Amino acid sequence: MPDIFGITVSALQAFQSALDVTSNNIANANTPGYARESINLSAAAPQSNGTTSVGNGVVVNGVIRAFSQATANQLNTSQSSLGQLNALQTYSSQIDNLVGTTAGGLSTALQSFYGAWSDVANNPTSTATRQALLGKAQSVANSLQSTSSELNGLNTDINTRLTADVRQINSDGAAIAALNKQIVIGTAQAGGQPPNDLIDQRDQLLSNLSTLTGVSTSIESNGALNVFVGNGQPLVLQGNTTNLITVPNQFDAAQLEISTATSNGNLISNTLTSGDLGGLLAARTQVVEPAINQLGRIATAFSQSVNSQQNAGLDLTGKLGANLFSIGAPLATASVKNTDSATAAVSVTSPSALTANNYILSYQAGAYSLTRATDGSVVPSSGNGTPASPLTADGLSIVLSATPAAGDQFLIQPTAQAAGTLNVVLSNPSQIAAAGAILATPAGGNAGTGGISAGIVVDAANPNLLTTASILFTSPTTYSINGAGNFTYSAGGNISQNGWQVQIKGTPATGDSFNVHSNAGGTGDNRNALASANLQSLPVLENGTVSVNGALSSLITGIGSQAQQINTAQTAQAAVNNQAVSNQQSVSGVNLDEEAASLLQWQHAYQAAATALQIGTSIFQNLLTAVRAA
Amino acid sequence: MRVTQSLNQAQFIAALNTLESNLSQTQNKIATNLSFTTASQNPVAAGAVDNYTQVLAQTKQYDTNANSAQTSLGTEDNALSQVQSQLQGLRDLALEANSGTLTSQDRATIATQAAQIQASLVSLANTRDGNGEYIFGGYATQNQPFAPSANGATYSGDQGQRQVQIAAGQFVAVSDNGDTVFNQIKTGNGTFNATAGAANTGTGVLGATSVSNSAAYNGGTYAINFTAASTYEIRDSNNLLVTSGPYADGQAIAFRGVQVTLTGQPAAGDTFSVAPSANQSVFTTVQTLITALQTGASTPASKAQVTNSINGAIGNIDQVLNQAATVRASIGGRLNAITAQQSVSSSQEIQLQSSISTLQSLDYASAITTLDQQNTTLSAALQAYTITQGLSLFKYL
Repeated sequence: MPDIFGITVSALQAFQSALDVTSNNIANANTPGYARESINLSAAAPQSNGTTSVGNGVVVNGVIRAFSQATANQLNTSQSSLGQLNALQTYSSQIDNLVGTTAGGLSTALQSFYGAWSDVANNPTSTATRQALLGKAQSVANSLQSTSSELNGLNTDINTRLTADVRQINSDGAAIAALNKQIVIGTAQAGGQPPNDLIDQRDQLLSNLSTLTGVSTSIESNGALNVFVGNGQPLVLQGNTTNLITVPNQFDAAQLEISTATSNGNLISNTLTSGDLGGLLAARTQVVEPAINQLGRIATAFSQSVNSQQNAGLDLTGKLGANLFSIGAPLATASVKNTDSATAAVSVTSPSALTANNYILSYQAGAYSLTRATDGSVVPSSGNGTPASPLTADGLSIVLSATPAAGDQFLIQPTAQAAGTLNVVLSNPSQIAAAGAILATPAGGNAGTGGISAGIVVDAANPNLLTTASILFTSPTTYSINGAGNFTYSAGGNISQNGWQVQIKGTPATGDSFNVHSNAGGTGDNRNALASANLQSLPVLENGTVSVNGALSSLITGIGSQAQQINTAQTAQAAVNNQAVSNQQSVSGVNLDEEAASLLQWQHAYQAAATALQIGTSIFQNLLTAVRAA
Repeated sequence: MRVTQSLNQAQFIAALNTLESNLSQTQNKIATNLSFTTASQNPVAAGAVDNYTQVLAQTKQYDTNANSAQTSLGTEDNALSQVQSQLQGLRDLALEANSGTLTSQDRATIATQAAQIQASLVSLANTRDGNGEYIFGGYATQNQPFAPSANGATYSGDQGQRQVQIAAGQFVAVSDNGDTVFNQIKTGNGTFNATAGAANTGTGVLGATSVSNSAAYNGGTYAINFTAASTYEIRDSNNLLVTSGPYADGQAIAFRGVQVTLTGQPAAGDTFSVAPSANQSVFTTVQTLITALQTGASTPASKAQVTNSINGAIGNIDQVLNQAATVRASIGGRLNAITAQQSVSSSQEIQLQSSISTLQSLDYASAITTLDQQNTTLSAALQAYTITQGLSLFKYL
């Protein structure tokens, strides 16, 4: 039979618990990961006296976490995307700022350099203008080197952060595994009632983990949470963790990759595409590396164009010009996995055909295949890699020291170290080749009106370039060179020999002759300086369509666009993430006003129950008094 | 939707950060007067500004080059104008020497003056510019191009002509080599040269020569032979008779497009030759004049010889004056081209600067308005926060 005391005591106990739960909510209002809790009450089983059934009070079934797996998953996914974009943005905005300052400085340095060539052309015998030119060349080199070292510094920074992230992921994984064990035991001990606060902690760790790398999860029937990263690599399985480790790249030990710490070391860098870890790896391949390579490509084309113009002229001492700049050769690194010790040597044969890509050279089934490192697409190449027939592709020439073993691979970085290794090698101002290498002169007693152009150098490497040659008109319409040949004269047509080219105009007479000879002594000549000053608008890149200046402008636009795009994506993702946080908080967060109302609600209920108890007592008292009076 | 106090707080702080960073960005733009400070704020404009800045620097360099070209050409023009006035003086002296009243003594005095002019011509041909370069040396500007010799002076420079770039693809020559200016000068009237035979015994003196019919002129070499004092015949280089006729003092002799005037009385056996003009250096011309002036002339025949020599020299000096005028005209043309290009360049510079400014400079009015808006938003947000933070049910319990 129900009795008022039993019922009210159950109510008082239930409401006491409800007040406890509400107070706990208020206490944890600012605790990260805390999910609001509510009490689950139900009416106790009624007792029947045969005709009526009367309720038997209230029963506390348990305390429920306000939690939605869907919103939690949504938040974790959004945090992973945001983490990735945050990391990308860190690097893209640093490079963006770099472009605004040091690369802008490079642009100014280049302008001054070409301007200094014009000054030399205006005054070719002056040591002062030549010295100034060497100074400007040095500032171009300094500017390239400092930009390159700042960019390489970003790679170092990425490595440091990768290491720190991996350490944090491992420690979070271990903590989740430990909590899994406690939760399994706790649930069993509480008769299936889950230990809410431990689950809160586990969810918070998972949320932290999701900012570092994208995670997927599954829940075991015993309450344990399994966590997977990348393409489903298990990080936590029940109470066990599989750690991640950083390992050096097989080609470049200075680049860290992520692998699982298993005996067969599964490399998973490529599958880590989100979270801070994904952002760092993407920043390296999509932001930092392209910037380094593009800058290097500009440096390569710049130095090669200046050097080859130097080689085509004469310096103040009458010698053919020596290189003004030195630059590091393309890098070719053998994989540590290679079974043969063959090495590859790479040189740039045509800077205008160079790309900003890195390549993987593989030897498989007796043939080489060259693929782009970023997307693995095959690059057409020719040759067989021997000194006699080098492997050529995209302006590169590759020679292998020996035939590698099948499966051996090499990483080819054509321009990665170019910007950082550009140096000025001339120190003596008189070594600047301002004069043209050759000069064509009509012989003294020519009877005709034929005039000859001063001549240009088309092949500075020709060993006979500076050897005097004589063009003799055997008739008004034919001529011989050095007594040989019988060529038909066409006014203004090109006459080429020994690596030079001249034009003769007018009407030469029989017996007229013209000499093409070294311009040694022509120290006042500025033809080569003029040509050097004009290199700035010469299209030496992109298969002869873009100048050094143009390439620098598009580098600035390219880096700016990329940073802008990443900024936009980051802003959008931050808004998405805010929404996900709101949704999650809407489900699991603690609203203090709501809790205040609950407090009042339970307080009133408690007071009512207490009043019921008081009435029960007073009924009992009345009964006792009546019995005593009787 | 449940809004929690802690989320509210966090979102407010995030919003505050965004608002304050926007405000500081606008403030930074106003302080630097730049509409963008990093490439990402306007990638296309950033690339374009870089490109324009490069072109602007290039254009300014062309300006510097043009100034340098003007200086070089000015030096050359000045030297040539002095050459002209020296030669004009020499020509006057030669005319004076040719007047019949002068004695051999007088001519010797004039020869001394002519020798001084020769020395100053050589020195002008060896003019150096402000950098110590010989302006008439071609490319060999560090060696003295002209050295005095028995025949006048020898040239050791080359045929080079220095150029300077004054615009994209536009080069202007800033020097002329000494060979072209001083050596490659046609003798006679520029087409052919008439000379008197060295063994002439008459008093025939060559006067004006010209090409009367350029279609008939074939550039041959001819001899005008006097078979008698009053008859001449003209033979070509193969000794074939071209024409013959009676001689009259002062009357033009014309054949095959050539017209020659003779005065005085040639003797039988005297001969005059007509040959295509050859190149002769100004120094050789002057030296020939000096030699003629120094030659004593006592007989009418020898006086006629000297007169012929001096006349020939005067004709050659006229050719040099022509050449100097032609070179100076060409210098003037180049200076004009430079001036024209400078005005084009300066308007290009203004255009480029304005393009850069359009892309890069801040629109102050809109920036100040933005700053004001952002400021208002920030204060409104701060105020809203304090109001909403005051709301709590606990206050009423």
